Amino acid sequence: METKGDGGVPSPFLPRMRPVASSGPRYREARYAYATVLPVVLLVALFTLYPFAFALVTSLREVVLYKPWSQPFVGLKNYLDVVRSEFFSTSWQHTLTFVAGAVPLATLLGFGVAHLLNARTALTPFLNVTILLPWAIPTVISGIIWAWIFNSSYGAFNGALYSLGLIDSYLPWLSRPRSALLCVLFAHVWKEVPLTSILYLAALQAIPEELYDAARVDGAGAPAVLRRITVPLVLPTTLIIVVYETMVGIVTFDLLYVMTGGGPAGATSLISYYLYNSMFVAFNFGQGAALAVLLAIALVAFIALYLRLLRSEEIYVT
Amino acid sequence: MRRRAALRAAIPVLFGLGLAAYILAPFVWVALSSIQPERELFRVPPHWVPRQLTVDNYRFVFTGRFPAGYEQAGIARGRISEKARDALPALRNSTIVAVSVALVNLVLGTLAAYTFSRLRFRGAGPLYSFVLASRLLPPMAVAIPYYLIVNRLGLLDRYAALILIHTVFTLPFTVWFLTVYFRRVPPDLEEAAFVDGCTRLQALVRIVVPVAAPALAAATAFSFMFSYNDFPFALFVTSTIRSQTIPVIVANTAINPDVSFGVVAVTVVLTMLPPVIFALGFRHYITRGLITVTTTR
Repeated sequence: METKGDGGVPSPFLPRMRPVASSGPRYREARYAYATVLPVVLLVALFTLYPFAFALVTSLREVVLYKPWSQPFVGLKNYLDVVRSEFFSTSWQHTLTFVAGAVPLATLLGFGVAHLLNARTALTPFLNVTILLPWAIPTVISGIIWAWIFNSSYGAFNGALYSLGLIDSYLPWLSRPRSALLCVLFAHVWKEVPLTSILYLAALQAIPEELYDAARVDGAGAPAVLRRITVPLVLPTTLIIVVYETMVGIVTFDLLYVMTGGGPAGATSLISYYLYNSMFVAFNFGQGAALAVLLAIALVAFIALYLRLLRSEEIYVT
Repeated sequence: MRRRAALRAAIPVLFGLGLAAYILAPFVWVALSSIQPERELFRVPPHWVPRQLTVDNYRFVFTGRFPAGYEQAGIARGRISEKARDALPALRNSTIVAVSVALVNLVLGTLAAYTFSRLRFRGAGPLYSFVLASRLLPPMAVAIPYYLIVNRLGLLDRYAALILIHTVFTLPFTVWFLTVYFRRVPPDLEEAAFVDGCTRLQALVRIVVPVAAPALAAATAFSFMFSYNDFPFALFVTSTIRSQTIPVIVANTAINPDVSFGVVAVTVVLTMLPPVIFALGFRHYITRGLITVTTTR
């Protein structure tokens, strides 16, 4: 009865649905609806619910490569081991440092670049094309290019500093803990700014020109216009960008694989890379799964936090 | 006063030039690296304007002939990774997978999004939220289970495995994007068609699809790019050149410390060509689609 699309009881979710016979046009419509939606839903379910359930189950067992025949139930031991491990806290620390740098940089630069694209100079058509390029190429490719630029023996960055007389000899930027993370951050922001710029450009172009005219008539200066009109009106876009960039920052993996391999001394081993290491290098699947579950929970918690902010901000704006 | 106005007009142009340099410098650098002999690349400090140009690196990737000078140095084996020669078949693999993903997205995504945007049915809200929320799952968290699922389906190292996984990771965006877009298409035309006896599917194909063609083009472009650019999934479920995609081949060539960067630069340039051409070709749809969707309340 439930599956036939509509029973006699009006559902609270579907206030306008009228009770009809099980073979009328309404029924046919419901059948069409499920036929078109279910392929997507089932495909997504197979590749999200099952893997996540699998990770949950694995995380409660001891699963290591060299003992495939025995996978004893160990309760929360994997979680405790993971959380107590020194690498867990340092990799989260690095991840949060990275995200704390990447999100504001990508957001603010995107905001600035969007204004530049909106300024309509002779360069604008050219910039509109150029800005898409870093976004279009695979992340590993941008990582390879930047790793070569920061290369300690032949890199262009060293070459430039040397030619300008700023350094006496080439420095190993990617082998020093602090500068390595900065190099990855630089490459990451270079790749992310195009998308944030385009999203901000969209938001800027949606602001009615009359608002600016009215502000000008009232004698508002540029800072006041920015603060009172532009920033509040692009706020929904800002929140989309901040949520998205936080997500992308937390799961950063591709750049680390090609630029630093998580090194030096784990300084760029962000949480995703640490997870990759514990599964595919250390082959401790139980701990890897526990780590995966924790990462998924952390990600959802972050997003929930943002969505809560988003909701309260929306009330504030309107 | 006039000088001041001129200065004011010059500021965005100057910033624009700075932006263009910031974005383009890495592309120029890698393109130049691909057409210089190894000796030149390793010069300290570099020649900013190349003095010697060569197509040897390209010839190596396309024909397998060692660039002159590499063999004499006795380091040919280490310096030139044979793996770089897998770039061409890998490009083919990437294209096959990405085109398939884009087509599957186009068909499944359009059907589902149209239903979500127009029809009321039990569970519509939760199902829609479920599809969108699935994107929150971090890729690395499902790496091992994906490997096992793909293995159980007998699809390890096959195109189908990548197509399935990429489709699952692109569909949420496609469905969201198209649902938001379809909601903006006025339903009047379809209603007229229903009066004429059209079914839902006919109305979708004959009336909505032509109107929403720019959005469909954008959705196709997004899914193509995601699939083509994906690295972690391709790394986990492929193992040989039979299905390895170009990011995997180039990444694993590049992280070899002995590899010749001239050769890597060639593979990097070749890898960038399809998505760059795609992005520029679909530029208007991509930007306009994003504008429409993100500014809809």
